[in-house]
Amino acid sequence: MKKIVSVVMLLAVMVVSTVAFVQTASAEEVKMVGTISKIEMAADGKSATAILKDSKTEESVTIIVSDELTLDKFKDKRIVEGDEIRCKFDKADGKNSSKMFKKTAGC
Amino acid sequence: MSGKIIAILMGCTLLSTAVQAKEHPGKEKILKDGYQGPKTCEKCHPGKAAEFLKTVHWKHASKVDHVDNINPNEEYGMKNRIYTMCNGNDIVNNLKEVPPNALGKTKFTGCNTCHPGDHTSDVGSTGPQAEQAIDCLICHSTKYDFSKRKPVKDSNGKVVMTQDRSTEAAANVGRPTIKNCMVCHEAAGGGAMIKRGFSMAKDAEVHVTKGIICIDCHQVKNHKFPTGRDPNNWAHDGIYMTCVGECHSVKPHSDADYNRHTAKIACQTCHIPKTGGAFSKDFTKWEKQSNGFYEPSTLKREVNETAPVYAWYNLTVSNTPKFIGPKGSRTDGKSKIYPFKIFQGKAYFNKKNGQLLSMDFAPPIANGDSLAGVASAAKILGIKDYEPVPGWQTIYFGSNHQVAPKNKALICANCHALNGVLNFKELGYSPKEAEKLTNPELYFEKLLKLQQENE
Repeated sequence: MKKIVSVVMLLAVMVVSTVAFVQTASAEEVKMVGTISKIEMAADGKSATAILKDSKTEESVTIIVSDELTLDKFKDKRIVEGDEIRCKFDKADGKNSSKMFKKTAGC
Repeated sequence: MSGKIIAILMGCTLLSTAVQAKEHPGKEKILKDGYQGPKTCEKCHPGKAAEFLKTVHWKHASKVDHVDNINPNEEYGMKNRIYTMCNGNDIVNNLKEVPPNALGKTKFTGCNTCHPGDHTSDVGSTGPQAEQAIDCLICHSTKYDFSKRKPVKDSNGKVVMTQDRSTEAAANVGRPTIKNCMVCHEAAGGGAMIKRGFSMAKDAEVHVTKGIICIDCHQVKNHKFPTGRDPNNWAHDGIYMTCVGECHSVKPHSDADYNRHTAKIACQTCHIPKTGGAFSKDFTKWEKQSNGFYEPSTLKREVNETAPVYAWYNLTVSNTPKFIGPKGSRTDGKSKIYPFKIFQGKAYFNKKNGQLLSMDFAPPIANGDSLAGVASAAKILGIKDYEPVPGWQTIYFGSNHQVAPKNKALICANCHALNGVLNFKELGYSPKEAEKLTNPELYFEKLLKLQQENE
């Protein structure tokens, strides 16, 4: 019985690991330039949702931002709605998680 | 770590806690009376506005005495310099609205966008109006609303830069934070982390990790900022700084071998092993963006992706149309080996005198026509006799920020192994000397011991 439980446990671990690996591996990195149409901070301030209008396709893309530096820029309005952004994000499970979120403007 | 450094770090921590906890004196009065710009600040800080107008942050230029081929009686800086990271300057790229692009869109652009005035009082302006135009709060407030600072056209069609002069911003003033500095300093060269390519985030810079902020090292006196000796950063307030001083001694390591190196190797060489940002740009070829505007084609890396080049530097600068970089040698008795970010930029040179031409970005941003940009800049500068020909310029940028944690600093083998980062022959050593300098005898025992300790 003990042996069967061990085998079942091992199989379960393998299945979970495989699923996790497949999910990670299936994350697609997307690069985009777009204009922010909406920024919404989470209540706890630890993440935000930014909606960008893709400059190429004009489609609206929702991106989750969770890095401290960008969140701070949202808070003090260094980045605001209407700003043009160059970003990279991971697309997985219907969610777009920001990896880079920078204003295109510079002097 | 020495007791002195621990004491300084503790001091910084205590001071930052105290600064955060302590309100700026006069807050109640500001809240009661509101903020009327610099004249409110001057009630308690008389003379500071006039003082600020004399600094590089306002003038974007100073006299320069360590660079070849310039007039020591004139002032140089981003106000008027021409080089291929920024092929324009405050004069030719004065903040303006660009012509409409093919999609009918327009936007404001200019090198002096970061100037802390209101554009009516611009780079190098003087007098009472300029004093009242200073945006004190952009550097001093922790509650500055950056969305309120933007270029707009006034009722006469003149481009002005608005400011956040709210009571809330004024009531929350103090020493400039990293954020206050980086608002401008991270956006230079055409976008975030492009020009110098370093980050001042906690996870990127060991000083920031320890709670040290920009002005703890750049210790400001009367609004004058001490700077390092980047070969491409010419303008200065007359004060220079080094790592050695309050925090680090001339013999900062517990290891005598490392300490022996400090006579010839700059601290940055081992402690700043990576840099980033743009490493090449072509101002003759502008790329159309998805928004219909054009940008100079740029090769760039993330902040920690570029290995520096190393060269002897005696703190004087070679400046020719094709090269801006360190002077120095192994034998001059003044030089040390420093790390640099090497950058190569393509732009137009005047075939008639070999000088680099500058470019007004407004025309190429709108339609990609780089020669129209050269023509516009030549008109602004009154240059009539020119024939633009494309060519490359090489620039060495000092690598002075983004200090790595101790365990990421270069160690013996990083330089003395055969595949080390230093090219001893290029640095002036004979083949025989280079062979000796790359002999494992130099480091094997030390690194073996270190390896055993870490296993």
